[in-house]
Amino acid sequence: MFSFAAPLALVGLIGLPLIYWLLRVTPPRPREIVFPPTKILRELKPDEETPAKTPWWLMALRLALAAALILAMAGPVWAPSGVVASSASMLIVIDDGWPAAPTWERRVAGAASIIESAARAGGPVAVALASETAAPVPGDGGRAMEKLRSARPKPFLPDRKAIGEQAAAFARAHPGARIVWISDGIAQGDAAGFARALKEAGASSVEVYVEDHAPRALAAPTNDAAALSVDVLRTGDDASAVIDALDAKGRTIGRTTADFNGAPRVRAKIELPVELRNEVSHLRIEGENSAGAVALLDARSKVKRVALVGGESADQAQPLLSPLYYLEKALAPFAQIRVARPGVVDPVQALLAENPNIMALADVGLAPGETFDALSRFVEEGGTLVRFAGPRLANADDELLPVRLRRNGRVLGGAMSWEEPKSLAEFDAASPFFGLPAAKDVTVQRQVLAEPDPGLADKTWARLSDGTPLVTAERRGKGLIVLFHVNADANWSNLPISGLFVEMLKRISAMAGESAPSGGEQSNMVAEQSALAPMRILDGFGGLGAPGPTAQSIPPGFEGPASAEHPPGLYGAGEAFVSVQTLRPTDEISAFNFAGAGLSATALRSGSQLDLRGPLLAFALIAFIADALIAMALAGKLRLRPFGAATAALLALLCMSAATDETRAESAPKSAATQRDKDVALTTRLAYVVSGDAHIDETSRLGLEALTQALNMRTSFSPGDPVGVDPAKDELAFYPMLYWPIVASAPQPSTKTVAKVAAYMKQGGTVVFDTRDALSQRIGGAPTPETQWLRDLTKGLDIPPLEVTPRDHVITKTFYLLDGFVGRYANGETWVEALPPEPKDQAARPVRATDSVSAIVITSNDLAAAWAQDKRGQPLFPLTPGGARQRELALRGGINLVMYTLTGNYKSDQVHVRDLLERLGQ
Amino acid sequence: MFSDVTTRVYDPALRKPADGAAAADLASQMPRLVARAREIAASLAYGVHGRKRAGVGETFWQYRPFASGEAAYRIDWRRSARGDQLYVREREWEAAHDYFLWMDCSPSMAFGSSLASDDKLSRAVTLGLALADVLVRGGERAAALGLTAPVSARDVIDRLARALAENAMEAARDDLPPQAPMRPRARVVLISDFLVEPDALAARLRRFADAGASGAILMVTDPSEETLPFFGETTFVDTDGGPAFYAGDARSLRAAYARRFEAHRDAIRRAAQHVGFIFLQHRTDRPAAEAALALAMGLLGTDGLGFEERR
Repeated sequence: MFSFAAPLALVGLIGLPLIYWLLRVTPPRPREIVFPPTKILRELKPDEETPAKTPWWLMALRLALAAALILAMAGPVWAPSGVVASSASMLIVIDDGWPAAPTWERRVAGAASIIESAARAGGPVAVALASETAAPVPGDGGRAMEKLRSARPKPFLPDRKAIGEQAAAFARAHPGARIVWISDGIAQGDAAGFARALKEAGASSVEVYVEDHAPRALAAPTNDAAALSVDVLRTGDDASAVIDALDAKGRTIGRTTADFNGAPRVRAKIELPVELRNEVSHLRIEGENSAGAVALLDARSKVKRVALVGGESADQAQPLLSPLYYLEKALAPFAQIRVARPGVVDPVQALLAENPNIMALADVGLAPGETFDALSRFVEEGGTLVRFAGPRLANADDELLPVRLRRNGRVLGGAMSWEEPKSLAEFDAASPFFGLPAAKDVTVQRQVLAEPDPGLADKTWARLSDGTPLVTAERRGKGLIVLFHVNADANWSNLPISGLFVEMLKRISAMAGESAPSGGEQSNMVAEQSALAPMRILDGFGGLGAPGPTAQSIPPGFEGPASAEHPPGLYGAGEAFVSVQTLRPTDEISAFNFAGAGLSATALRSGSQLDLRGPLLAFALIAFIADALIAMALAGKLRLRPFGAATAALLALLCMSAATDETRAESAPKSAATQRDKDVALTTRLAYVVSGDAHIDETSRLGLEALTQALNMRTSFSPGDPVGVDPAKDELAFYPMLYWPIVASAPQPSTKTVAKVAAYMKQGGTVVFDTRDALSQRIGGAPTPETQWLRDLTKGLDIPPLEVTPRDHVITKTFYLLDGFVGRYANGETWVEALPPEPKDQAARPVRATDSVSAIVITSNDLAAAWAQDKRGQPLFPLTPGGARQRELALRGGINLVMYTLTGNYKSDQVHVRDLLERLGQ
Repeated sequence: MFSDVTTRVYDPALRKPADGAAAADLASQMPRLVARAREIAASLAYGVHGRKRAGVGETFWQYRPFASGEAAYRIDWRRSARGDQLYVREREWEAAHDYFLWMDCSPSMAFGSSLASDDKLSRAVTLGLALADVLVRGGERAAALGLTAPVSARDVIDRLARALAENAMEAARDDLPPQAPMRPRARVVLISDFLVEPDALAARLRRFADAGASGAILMVTDPSEETLPFFGETTFVDTDGGPAFYAGDARSLRAAYARRFEAHRDAIRRAAQHVGFIFLQHRTDRPAAEAALALAMGLLGTDGLGFEERR
């Protein structure tokens, strides 16, 4: 909408008719010529009189000029944000909880335009974030903007109570103040109380702006025996949400779509094999870049570590006789197995020091003592103890068993028994094994028997067909003791060599909770009181990063809610970390009903205000110049050459024909090889893709020029001057290497162009994509605009699998021996076409290469900026971290790249040259 | 839409620019004009040399042997005393005329247009000086009418130029030739644009004729003055201070003006021919040498060169 800074100036428009009248009576001056024979002229009677009147179009021009001036005086402003400028002091409260994160950029832009309009009107502006408790300080637009720019969304839902009080205080301190609330639209975080506080604050107006985005969130992720499941919450009317399961490196492992079916909360299941499921480190709603849309999975759902201890000394020569062999085989697919080193005095104690989740004891009798105490503590603190019967156990009863055992057990189907070997009964519904098929071919010849104590049935997880328990278990403390009444080898039963055994162990493993925070006696004692330090913390956008200064350790058993002191993320150290979720399992999110609170929310429109003064004044100036020119022309002072008009017409014609030429050239790009093509075909040279950003293009050109110089001086390759190419128009076939700096603001090339680039890569060209964003990349965070741009581009390209340049890749050895490719930054990775895996049977080669040159090299280190230098050879850009060495390495990297594109895998043979020479010498 | 013909004007007398022109008075232009006048005179010198033979004159020509029967007073005794023979001292035959040149320096002369490279005044002065040089070389004597006495010095150009430059102020006041004492049979050469009343000019010429002078009139015209190549709404400002003339559309006046200008020229021609003066006209877009030759031939006799009086 339009608004005027000084509407009174519009009164001047009344004067327009006066100007009209004045213009009518004062025609332009006639041309004046000094002419000696005027005397003779005077004797003539002029037979034609020009009407002494201003031409209408000149009058219109002058009136428009005057009107433009008057309007410009009135200071018109086009304000798309709809915020009316006024000079009252203003408080802008911005919700900075995670629900605001997905639309944060738009929120900042909208807030910026509000600040801009307020600053233009001259009123003091204060910016307050909902997570703050400090009193907002009003200042000028610049300070407010500074604060706005530095604000980042928080990974938790701030309680708006404190800021509500501050807003009320602000309204009291500044009578007539306006309060603007840029809300995330979420009721949680005391939105109702805050709205009430604003209403009662006594501000002249309370304006509420919302973004048109209903946040979604994840809560209560569980990795149970059957599936990985998570609650998906919504506040709007999204029909579904796509949930990605990602591993620690950010790769998507699994994906599922949760249909809300009208409910605000559904439970989504991600079906994955257990092995993959254990790799999942966090879940994320696709397209929702906020901390709330990330659910972290901690060590509790990780791969279990199982420590195996056998009762007899392991006989390496006859592995099939060792019960540990079968256990290892059964556990290997889903568990990390720890076995004590041979010769350890007390293997149980040694393995407990490694923090296992499960301790499996195969026929170990436990005598009271240190080992027994350590094991008891392990179980009490949450460890799972799985024991297998055996001759030793059958004769030595101890406390760490779920049931009391009868001496000696029983033998079924043996030579001294009439009984047949027993098979398994179906599993009870209460048993964790419920659902597994009771394999009929599993038979038990021998077992230990439990005393028929009361409660034995509840402790029994599996039984034989005659009802005798086969697997019993008991919770003890936080932990669990499971006893298999058979041996872990195939002597007593064929259960350990059945598939069922694997499944049963899987179920037990899934049930096993986290291990004790730390093993050992002293650290155990400390762990009881010690808090868990923050390790990796979510930011508001849902990226994991280093903990900020406000993050503090959580006490053990911390249940949330997440706050500034305890932001969501991973706490602990090493492998045994626990997660704090953004949302507690019971948390709900819902949209806030602004109308119910007596407030009306308007959509926040970003886009900065347009001050129309400049265009109006520019128009007035142009009109003034035109008027002066016309007046001069009418007065005969302006002498245009007779061919001036013709020249102008000719120029216009030329421009038109050039334009049509261009369109023709675009429509038929392959019509003929241009002169330029002929030139570049004769000399090999480097080329860069013109991005359209003049600054970047100049950097690319200077960078490649410097690289060309270096190649000239150091190598036998003398390239021609580098050229900028437009892949849409120019033929690419002449360039061995194309340097492509990514500019996120540039439009995506057309499909045709992408196809052309793809063909270029197929034909052996190498494209070096440089996203130049190594500094702004966040692992796990939202991709940078440049990366996103590159991803969009490469959708149309047939990209082979890529990998981070391995140390033995030939590209690191083509001219210089390098560790990596640094540019202006040194921390970005360089990706090349993945090499085939190293053949195992051959001796390690010092260098590996594919058959062809990698068609694509992706870096983010901004290579050209590191190369670029001015005419005097002075570098143009500072490097990070910096130093002449880095610049030299960048140049060496560039030389290697060029040499790689030119020589391919040739150097991978060259590394053998010394051996070859030696052989020749002999 | 716009006329491409531009005009320029300056004050010939004042030593400061009147219309933005760089060198805007006669004195500052004089060196250039003198140089050009010498060039033109040199190109003309081939045909109009003096008659080098004995005759009635004052300067010594030659001694010749006394012939019997001659009057004895003619013997030059000083020469004859050196030898046995009697000698008669002969003087050169002198038939020198006095030529009075008048170059009009009135403001209307200081006018030029983009159609010609020279303004009228420069052209008039160039022609006048060149003519003076040619005349002096031809044995005649030249003077600036009303400014100097006739001389036959070889540096006549410089003398006349100095006189013109020094007296431009006074000369600018009148656009008619001044009256000056002159011997009988003197010649008068008038170079001007003659944008004057033909009757006034005729009266002045008659007085020259009464004094026994004959001569020539060269009417110098700028091309724009002949054709009026202007268009559009125009105010014409007189150089002589008369009232300005406003034309709604200058182009529509062109035909009537051309007729009127031709009539004026005819009137001037009639006035000249009435008193036996030669009438020549010259347009500033033509070469200056052409007019100089015409003048010289017209004054010194055409001698069957086939040069016709330009009309």
